[in-house]
Order: sequence, then structure tokens, then C-alpha cells
Amino acid sequence: MQRKIVQWCVALALAAPAVVRAQPQEGSPPAQGGAGGNPLARLLLMPDLSAITSVTGVWNSHDVEALSPERGEVFGPEGRPEFLFREVELGLRAKVDPYFGADIFIAFTPEEVDVEEAYATTLALPAGLQLRAGKFFSPFGRMNQQHPHAWEFVDTPLARGRLLAEETLSGTGASVSWLAPTPWYAQLELAVQSTAPYEDLPPDLTGVGRLLQYVALSERTTVGLGLSAARRREGAPGALRDLGGVDVHLRYRDPGSRRYLTVQGELYLRTLRDVPDPEGAPGDTLDDAVEHGWWAQAFWRQDAFLGYGVRYEEAPAAGVAAPGTERRASAVLNWFPSEFSRVALQASYDRLPGGRDGVEGLVHFEFGIGAHGAHPF
Amino acid sequence: MTRLMKRAFAFGAALLAMVPAAAAAAPVRVVTTTEGLAALAREVGGDRVSVESLSRGVADPHYVDANPMLAVKLRKADLLLDVGLDLEAGWLPPLVAQSRNAEIQPGGKRRLTTADAVQVLDAPTGAVDRSLGDLHPGGNPHFLTDPRRGLDVAAAIAARLGELDPGGKEAYQANLAAFRSKLEAAMAGWRATLGPLQGRKLFTHHRTLSYFLAWSGLASAGELEPRPGVPPPPSHLAGLVKLAKAQEVKAVVVENYYDARSAETVARHAGVKLVRIPGDVGGERGAGSYLEYVGLLVERIAGGVR
Repeated sequence: MQRKIVQWCVALALAAPAVVRAQPQEGSPPAQGGAGGNPLARLLLMPDLSAITSVTGVWNSHDVEALSPERGEVFGPEGRPEFLFREVELGLRAKVDPYFGADIFIAFTPEEVDVEEAYATTLALPAGLQLRAGKFFSPFGRMNQQHPHAWEFVDTPLARGRLLAEETLSGTGASVSWLAPTPWYAQLELAVQSTAPYEDLPPDLTGVGRLLQYVALSERTTVGLGLSAARRREGAPGALRDLGGVDVHLRYRDPGSRRYLTVQGELYLRTLRDVPDPEGAPGDTLDDAVEHGWWAQAFWRQDAFLGYGVRYEEAPAAGVAAPGTERRASAVLNWFPSEFSRVALQASYDRLPGGRDGVEGLVHFEFGIGAHGAHPF
Repeated sequence: MTRLMKRAFAFGAALLAMVPAAAAAAPVRVVTTTEGLAALAREVGGDRVSVESLSRGVADPHYVDANPMLAVKLRKADLLLDVGLDLEAGWLPPLVAQSRNAEIQPGGKRRLTTADAVQVLDAPTGAVDRSLGDLHPGGNPHFLTDPRRGLDVAAAIAARLGELDPGGKEAYQANLAAFRSKLEAAMAGWRATLGPLQGRKLFTHHRTLSYFLAWSGLASAGELEPRPGVPPPPSHLAGLVKLAKAQEVKAVVVENYYDARSAETVARHAGVKLVRIPGDVGGERGAGSYLEYVGLLVERIAGGVR
């Protein structure tokens, strides 16, 4: 009993100063009127919003649609210049909550509105892990994960359209990536997505894996090597599409200026296993030979405003030019009036199987407004 | 066999003995975006920290490559110091995301955005859009050119290091006090150099010296860039030449990561001095510490406007 009384007294004595401090003040503080709180609070919670518009003038000497299809959309009718409205890419980026960040990219084109990517990425998983879920560009190769305004050239290499996907290999699903605890950069990403790489294919389950490694050769030079593989179900039981890829990316950067040189290239392999031939007799399957294509390019950024590049590529021919190998060489000149706009001139010489050839010219303009956020390397 | 076992035991014991020593000596890994911040972290961190900067002092900090090798450095960072005010907006966010280091995200307990520790100048007050150039809507991020603000940042770093490494709290405060007295002694000398030059005018390439000018009492008569990030057309340079003559401008001051051709043109036609300065600590030989860097700024700029 005595002990309890002592405890009470001690507790009361401890509480006393707190009671004195907590004396309520007379009256309430004056109101601030319209200036009360933060009138910009809504803006603070707005996602980063950006819109990037791109238009391209095209001219080609040959009938690309017949002779060299499956190459994206950057071409016009034979011998007649035309302007193409490529897209407005609307980007939204914000943190969802303490656990996820969101990235959404919507492409508005004359034909459609397409959700290119809309995914959430974890912010705080342990052990170097990161999860992504939603719709996203498949982690296959370096270029497949870039949006068009990040390309040095105006169009994509032929091999990408012929072997990976008509535009971008992408789909809805989830991925897990792991940054290995190595002294160099090593990231392994595994994804499961429903992809539809070509318009006539219904979405089907695809597993994608990519190992990306970067090492510094010197303070100025970094080289990256990526290995990618994908396997897609092709509708019929046991029918599979297997893809393989190797990408190399070398960058030399002079830290004291805006000059840099990048040399990069990608090789794609594709084989179709037991895929029924839609035009053959029941039980007939498509050719399961391994097809391949590749491209390599060098790009020199002279300063903040000018950059030049050359590219060479080989791909399996498509359309009436097939079968055989299509070869193309291109050169590009980029002028950047600022960080937010670009004018590009591109010329290509396209050599089709059978000795036919074609010449292409592209004039491209793009401009971005809003807060777009930085691109990965 | 017994001998081998004995050796194995001895080796094991030696390894075990090393473990606590290694644990006690493990420094706090501080990663900074710029060499200026790294220099301040070294001053207050002393031998309790290891410090690494993501960019070099010779580089324009607006345009650093988001090289994945930098994400490797961030992965293990115990503390990330950045400048803020969008200086690193073009390269730091993807690196932080790639690093998988949850606590160095903006607002994280292992992230210190040092702009929060200083009074910021040049924050635009009216309507802002990109026709005004590539400006920093939050204000001017080049605050380490003012040694008073350098001290504010050092104090903030010492406080954060003390929170993250409570055992070193007193050491960090002692290092800060030593740095303060060293810097204040140097500042007295710099003030003596700059005192007679009050109000002298100069041009800069980009608005990088607002904080230096506010501290030193020198004045800017304009920038070579008509708007931030916009290259000067000849008409703008001609205007500056006229202005230089009318307002008795003494020098054109250009960081060594900028192309100096426009500055040379103005200097030649206006008859003013061209002064090249390091853009940050490490921007040139002889600017290896924060005191050396500010000392070089004072010496070169004072020499230019004298």
C-alpha cells in the first residue's frame, strides 16, 4: 500500500511540469483568410506531366509497304513525300504511396489511343529486389525498352520489326528484377507477360529474362552487355516462339564537356517450334529454322546542340522481297535547339534481296513540354 | 594433420579477431552528387566516413550521365547528399530508383538535400515557363560559391551524420567546429582582398555566381546566355560589349566546363579580362578542398575585377 502511494506521488510529481506547460492559451490564433494553409497544395500532389509530340516527313523511292513491310510506321507511298503525325506521348509519373511508384505513358496517334506502358514499381524491397506490375515494354534488349524520343535515329532497325515485334515487344504482366551485390552493375530481370507482337496474333503468355551487366573500362568509358531470352506460347499445344538477343553498348563521355560517343548494336534470334502453318494442311508446321538479324550504330554528340550517327543493319526480308537478307545503311544528323526539342535528318540506302534497292529520306521534329523525368542510361 | 588443424584454428581465430575490429572501423559510406558536397562531407566526417562523389568537379553538374555504375555506388550508400533545386533532375532520379536503396529516396532518412539547409536565391517569382530558358523553378542551386552557405551545409551534414552514427556525434561536431574556425579565418583574409573591390561588375556565362556575388559585394552586369541554357546570339554579345563599356564591367567569369568562345569575343571587344574558374571542388589542380576552391574563386575573380 505504502509503495503504491509513493508510486502515485512520483507519477504526480513527474506530471506536474507537463500540466503547467499544457496551459491552454487565451483565444484562438487569428485566421489567415485565403492565404491560410498552402494554396498550392493540390499542385504539390500532381503527378509529373509531360507531352512529347513527334512528326516526320517521309520520302522513299521504293514501295516499302510491298517490298519491306514489318518495320514500324515510318514510311510513305512510293516516290511521293508525305508528312506523318507520329504520336503525342503523354507521360504521367508519381509515387502511388510509400510502397510503389507509377509510370504511365499513353500514345495518341491518328489511328488510336494506346496505353504503351502503365506500371507500378516497388520502392523499398530488400535484398536488391524490385517488382513491377502492369503493362510495360518487355525487358528484351536495350532498344525495346526505350520510347521513340530516346532513339538517336528516327526509325527502328528492320531486324526489330521482323523478329521481335511489329513495334515494341510489350504486354501486361509482372516482373521481378534483382541487382546483384557485385562491384560492377549486374541486373537480372524475369518477366511474365501476355504479349501480342504482331497484329494478327492474339495475346499469349510470354516469359522473358534479361541479364544486363555494365563495367567501367575507365572513368570515361563504360561498356554494357545484355543477354535476353523469351519464350511465347503460340496457341496450339506445344507450339512455341523462342527469341534470343545480345546487346552491346559502349559509351565514351568526356566529363568536362557535353561530348560523347556511343557505339551499340543488337543481335536477335528467333525460332518457331511446332507452330501450325495457317496456310498448310492440318499437321503442317512453319519452318523452325533459326532466323537472325542485327544492327550496329555509332553516334557522336559533338556538343549540346549537334550529333551525328551512322547505322548498318541486316534482317530477314519480308513482303514480296522475301526470302533473303535485307541490308540497310543509314546516317542521321540531329540538331537540338534545347533539351526539349529536336530536329533530325535521316537518309538510308536499302538493299533488298534480288539486287533491288531503295533510298529513303526522313525529316523529323519533336518537342516535349512539362516535366518528363530523366531516362535511364 | 594436427599441424594443419592447428594452422586452420589459428587462421580461424585470426579471422574471428578481425570481425569486431572491422565492424568498429566500418566507415559511414557517404555518396554525394558533386565534389563540393564531398569536400564538405570529408571535413565534418573525418575518418569516420568514406566519401565518394558521383560527378567530377570538371563536369557541368546539370549534365552528368546516368551511368549504371553510379547506381552501384548508391546501392550501398549510408547517406546520399544532393544539391537539390533540380540541379540533378536529369540524372539522379533514375540512379536512385536503380540502386534499390529505399532509404536514399527523396525524404528518406539517408538522403540529405542540402538546398534545404541554405537560404535560396533567384527563385522566380512571376509566371514561369520554358520560353525563359532552362531555369530552375525552385531557385539557384549554385550556393556553394558562398562560404557562409558552405558552412550551413557542413553543419547540416554534421547533424545528419550524428543522427545516423550517434557514436560519432561529438566527433562530427568537433570536426565542424574545426572546419568553422579554419573557414572563418580564411574568410577574414578573403574579405580583406574583396573589400576594396565592392560594387565592381562582371559578367558570368550562366547565373552560377549569384551566391558568391551576394557574399563578396561584387555585382553581376548580366550573363552571356540570354536565358539559362540558351546559347548567345551575336546580337546579345554585342549588347554585352556596349553594356560593359557603359557600366565599366571589369571581367567575364566563366567556369571551365563552358566553351569560352563567346566570353573571349566579349572580352576582346569590350577590353575586359576573361577569367576562367573551376566549376566546383576538383574542377582543376589546386582546388582539391573546399577552402582551396573558394580561395581560387576569390583570387581569380578579385584579380579579374581589380
